[in-house]
Amino acid sequence: MIIRRMYSVPENITMFSAGAAAVGAVYPMIMAHTGGHGLPCPLRSLTGVPCPFCGLTTATVALTHGEWGTAAKTSPLAYLVAILAVATAPVLVARLFGLAPLPRRASDPTRRRISRVMIVIVALSWLFQLRRYGFV
Amino acid sequence: MAYQGTPSYSGVPASQYSDWIHRVGAYLIETLPALIVFYIFVFAVRVAILDIIVYLAFLGYVIYNRWILGGQGQSIGKKVLGMMLLSEETGQPIGTLNAFLRDICHIVDSIICYVGYLFPLWDAKRQTLADKIMKTVVVPAQQ
Repeated sequence: MIIRRMYSVPENITMFSAGAAAVGAVYPMIMAHTGGHGLPCPLRSLTGVPCPFCGLTTATVALTHGEWGTAAKTSPLAYLVAILAVATAPVLVARLFGLAPLPRRASDPTRRRISRVMIVIVALSWLFQLRRYGFV
Repeated sequence: MAYQGTPSYSGVPASQYSDWIHRVGAYLIETLPALIVFYIFVFAVRVAILDIIVYLAFLGYVIYNRWILGGQGQSIGKKVLGMMLLSEETGQPIGTLNAFLRDICHIVDSIICYVGYLFPLWDAKRQTLADKIMKTVVVPAQQ
């Protein structure tokens, strides 16, 4: 059920992660029907160079099947998203039942700080993927 | 019709921009039925002449829904969920040509493992990269 109100960024990520986990749980079954052809990374398909988000599908599928090691070796970013989702899920549920106040928009300086942190995380993830594919 | 503010739903202030999950909902509403019909005729029925007709029908649907209706502000999914696609500069619908160009710009969203489509999860204006390039926003429609 989608309630029409303002959702905070962590709530959005939680809902997205829940959807991704649901897809991840049935993804091997889908792959079995499509002959193993998953969602390709367009950047890697075109240039051979992985993008910072390569491996997320594999890591998500691994996480939903309890294969922690495979997930960590494929994309640690999936762990970060999963931790964020689990941490904010109770707030989302509390707001759904009116037990917590609705989110307020973060101030611009806060948003800028979070953006900087995200850029660093994405850069580290890209380094990880470049190393995983033997570029560095 | 210009977008002029932040409407509210059931007394709860709505975001100035439509959330990612609503946009996904709108996309699924307008795409899933068409994809299911497309899949049934092209992959399950497997009649060559029907393939061509279904491909053309699908193309026609995309042109009508995403570019003509989308250019007027509301594709089918956005209309169902009460959202509008507008220019952030003029507050007006962007027109068929720009709606088409915006879809071309979605290549940028796709090339980074489709993460561009996730930008509305955290972006202040809930924009994809294509939205940023085309200077468009998706907002709740006036009630």
